[in-house]
Amino acid sequence: MMKNIYQPLEAVIEDIKEETSTIKTFTLRPKSDFSFATGQFIELTVPGIGEGPFTPSSDPGIKQRLDVTIMKAGRITAKLHSMQKGDSLGIRGPYGKGYALDKFRGKDIVIVGGGVGLAPLRSLLFSLFSEIHNYNKIILRYGSRTPFDIIYKGSLPEWSKKEKVDALVSVDVGDPGWSGKVGLVTTILDGMPVDLNKAVAIVCGPPIMMKFVTLKLLDLGFQTKDIYLSMEKNMSCGLGKCGHCRLGRYYACKDGPVFTYEEIKDIHDIWD
Amino acid sequence: MKTYYLEGHNLSKFYEHISASFNLYVPTRIKSPLKVPCEHSFQLPSDDYLLKKYEEAKKEGIVFNDYRSIEPVRIFFTHFKEKVCDYFHGPADKEKNRKPLAICGVKNCDLFALKIQDYVFLEGEQADPLYKSRRENALVISGDCPNFKEACFCRGFDIDPFATKGFDFNLSPLNDGFLLDVASDKAEEIVNALKGILTPANFGQISGRYAKRESVVKRMEEHLCYHQIPKKETLKEIVTAGFNSPVWQEQMQTCVECGACVFACDTCHCFLLADESRKERAERFRIWDGCLYKNFTTVAGGANPLRMRYMRLRNRYLKKFDFFIDNLGFQACCGCGRCIDVCPGRIDIRYILKRLYDEKYLPAA
Repeated sequence: MMKNIYQPLEAVIEDIKEETSTIKTFTLRPKSDFSFATGQFIELTVPGIGEGPFTPSSDPGIKQRLDVTIMKAGRITAKLHSMQKGDSLGIRGPYGKGYALDKFRGKDIVIVGGGVGLAPLRSLLFSLFSEIHNYNKIILRYGSRTPFDIIYKGSLPEWSKKEKVDALVSVDVGDPGWSGKVGLVTTILDGMPVDLNKAVAIVCGPPIMMKFVTLKLLDLGFQTKDIYLSMEKNMSCGLGKCGHCRLGRYYACKDGPVFTYEEIKDIHDIWD
Repeated sequence: MKTYYLEGHNLSKFYEHISASFNLYVPTRIKSPLKVPCEHSFQLPSDDYLLKKYEEAKKEGIVFNDYRSIEPVRIFFTHFKEKVCDYFHGPADKEKNRKPLAICGVKNCDLFALKIQDYVFLEGEQADPLYKSRRENALVISGDCPNFKEACFCRGFDIDPFATKGFDFNLSPLNDGFLLDVASDKAEEIVNALKGILTPANFGQISGRYAKRESVVKRMEEHLCYHQIPKKETLKEIVTAGFNSPVWQEQMQTCVECGACVFACDTCHCFLLADESRKERAERFRIWDGCLYKNFTTVAGGANPLRMRYMRLRNRYLKKFDFFIDNLGFQACCGCGRCIDVCPGRIDIRYILKRLYDEKYLPAA
């Protein structure tokens, strides 16, 4: 019998962690081992409701379980947020190409995240940490709307203490308890200690944030081929068949979801 | 490829034999009293053809369709809405123990379009299992077009109104019978059982067919003169160059977003996976979707890159004439003209392409 490409694999919710009022991290245990490369995404099924694309936020080295960090934004995620430990979800995949680690090795890695866009980057960080000797340094820049909207609050200070890591967080709007940077994430990109001849920048966040971060990185002297962007599209099948996620000559699902700016810069309206 | 001559009155024996081991579909006529005068003063027919189950069609009268059927042929390979799996149980296996498909009345435009469908559903990392099993087991019986509708424009893209490959059998009407081309092992096997009603085609018959084919091509090309359809080599260029053309907005004024153009299209393939719950279990359906619909590209949170109607029309052309030419080497349009026939807003792909061509190459002085 041929493999049914639309069939989800059952995965049980083992743990739920509340990151913010609208964002939760779900730890799933698939009924059989499931592996993915960092940056690849899965189609997550909420039984009887439907499925949507999400990029796992956990260490790809772990085969028995995976984390997905999800913001309540639509029909499927609203239902998902009401689910409990022990409930079943479905997963399909992994799909897409993910992050090209082979092109990152030996370089300065600049990681820029916005909001819940830090989720796929967390999985990338774990991958980088697991072979940190291959990288010169990791510069993490994270922007969030308010201090309440910061995800992975517990992990951020821990990551910033790691060797070769330089992490900075900024919020658009601060509050009396916030002593860190205030301003859009683009304001903390100045003065990064990077060697532009051997640096790559990896960006994930809302489209408007990615647009301005990309412009800023170009201003700073990054080459278009060294800027990696996670493109958000409506993806249904994940296999380049259903036609929803066309991006110029590509499908975001099978040719992405990570693209270099070089690959997509001439396509119209990529930030819409 | 071998070619035989089949007497007209023996066609029913041919069908009967095939229907014993295949789920056979054959053409029937939907009569229309109208004749459509085209700009070249040809009186073109406006009857339509529907491919129906053999048993049903027998009662109504099976005909030879002079041109493509009303529905796109892809409807046999991916149904409008069909279950693709239950979860969390085994894979859908409803194709088991079913007779394979045999589709008669397929035209060369349909065969061209099937190349697009095959690329989408068979190629890539993984194939669609339902499509694959149907397509591989299907018997495709194509036929020449001795006539054409006003909307037909296959020759505009150098696609002939007759098939020379891509089928198992091909029927060419000739005198009181048909020439039958046999192009696959599967078809060969069937022919072996029907030797009694087939005679090898002779030179006179083959050249007779040639002359008939040539005359249809010539007549159609005269008809297409009026429409001035851009050559296929220019399609990618004119569509991408016309990104900011006023034609999109202007032509979308009569669009009622019914989606008929995408569902009637032979090469459109987009679908949506939608889940429904049934008590303890859930089912997943693959449903045809269309990029002319408002929420085709909407993401959670509401952002929609194709929020305006003209963007969706333009997207459809970019997909057909930019994306597919880039990825596959040819356009995803076979010139069947079904989208023209079904559009209540009278949006005409031939006109839009001509406008884009004129804007690119013949800008107003």
